[in-house]
Parts: sequence; structure tokens; C-alpha cells
Amino acid sequence: MVKKRDRRIGDIALQRIVRLFELAEADARTDRRNRSDRYVQLARLIGMRYRVRIPSQLKMRFCKGCYSYLIPGKNARVRLRGEYITTTCLKCGQQMRRPYKAPRSPSARRK
Amino acid sequence: MMNITQHNILQHELIGLQAEIGASTNNSMMGLCGAVVDETRNMLVIETERKNEKWIAKAGNTFIFELGGGVRVRVKGDRIVSRPEDRIKK
Repeated sequence: MVKKRDRRIGDIALQRIVRLFELAEADARTDRRNRSDRYVQLARLIGMRYRVRIPSQLKMRFCKGCYSYLIPGKNARVRLRGEYITTTCLKCGQQMRRPYKAPRSPSARRK
Repeated sequence: MMNITQHNILQHELIGLQAEIGASTNNSMMGLCGAVVDETRNMLVIETERKNEKWIAKAGNTFIFELGGGVRVRVKGDRIVSRPEDRIKK
């Protein structure tokens, strides 16, 4: 069972992660890259320290290779390739793929 | 989901808040104010209105943070001396 204290810690950690991503977004829009990348770094540290997942919609907003905050059109290229969305970081070239089609129906063999 | 309040400010995110130095062992820093833009174990980085980044030691200073809704919280800097990601557990 999760203790009350642990739940509180996880709650605050998640709030801090979300807050840091908001700030990173604002700073990246005004071209303060160093600052937004620093906020991503801090958010990741908090997530790892307290084992809180970064929400999936925010996970798509930074590069998996160099951890810089990505803004499509500015420092990221987003393309649809078949069943995947491919996001390319224009700083380090890392490609991140993410499926976007509905999951295929389970095959007949796996009944 | 609970937001940042005077009860959890010691564990919560300081970056993004408006801060003012309420008391300091260095008289010339008194009253300096601006937005907190970064944090290390011993320092807060405050961006003043003129867009200068001031690195201020946490220890020995008292900060007044502005939370939403006109709430101002006075925090002794000695109590927030720790790495930003370690502060939640304290």
C-alpha cells in the first residue's frame, strides 16, 4: 500500500514537473533555449528521484537524445510515416517514433 | 491536486515565482526583486526588471515569495539550502 506521505511527495513532484514544462514552453518561445533545456533537465531529475512518470503528452516535448525542449517548426521536424509519427530533433538529429494509429486487432492466433 | 501554498513552499518549485529579498547579511542586496529563473544547491538566480541575472546565496538571506492571489510568504534561505530535486523529501 502506498503511504500517505509517499502519495503527497509524488503529487508535489508531478506538479513541479508540469510547472517546469510550462516555464520551458514559455522560454523556448522567446528563444531562451538554455533556460528551457535547464527546466527539462530539472523536471527529469525530479521524475527520476521520486519515480514519477513524466506525463505522456509532455514526454513528446523534449528530445530523447540531447534532452532539449522541442518546438515543432523551430528545432524539431514532425512527419507522418506510415503508422508512426517521427519527430526529428534538429539539434542532434535524434529521431523519435510514436505510433498514432489505433492498435491492430489481436491476431486470430492469440485467442 | 493541491497547488503551491505557504505550507508546501519548502518542497515546491521556486522557479517562476516572483521573489524579493526581505533580509540579508549583505545590506546592498536588500529589496532586490524579480523572477526566480534557476536554482542550485546554494544559489537562487533572480532576473531583475532590467533583465540582469543575479546569483544570490540562499544561506544568510530571507526571501519573500509571491504566490498567486496576493499571498506573500517569507522564507528563511537557510531552510531551502539543498538541491532543487532533493527538496521534496526534506
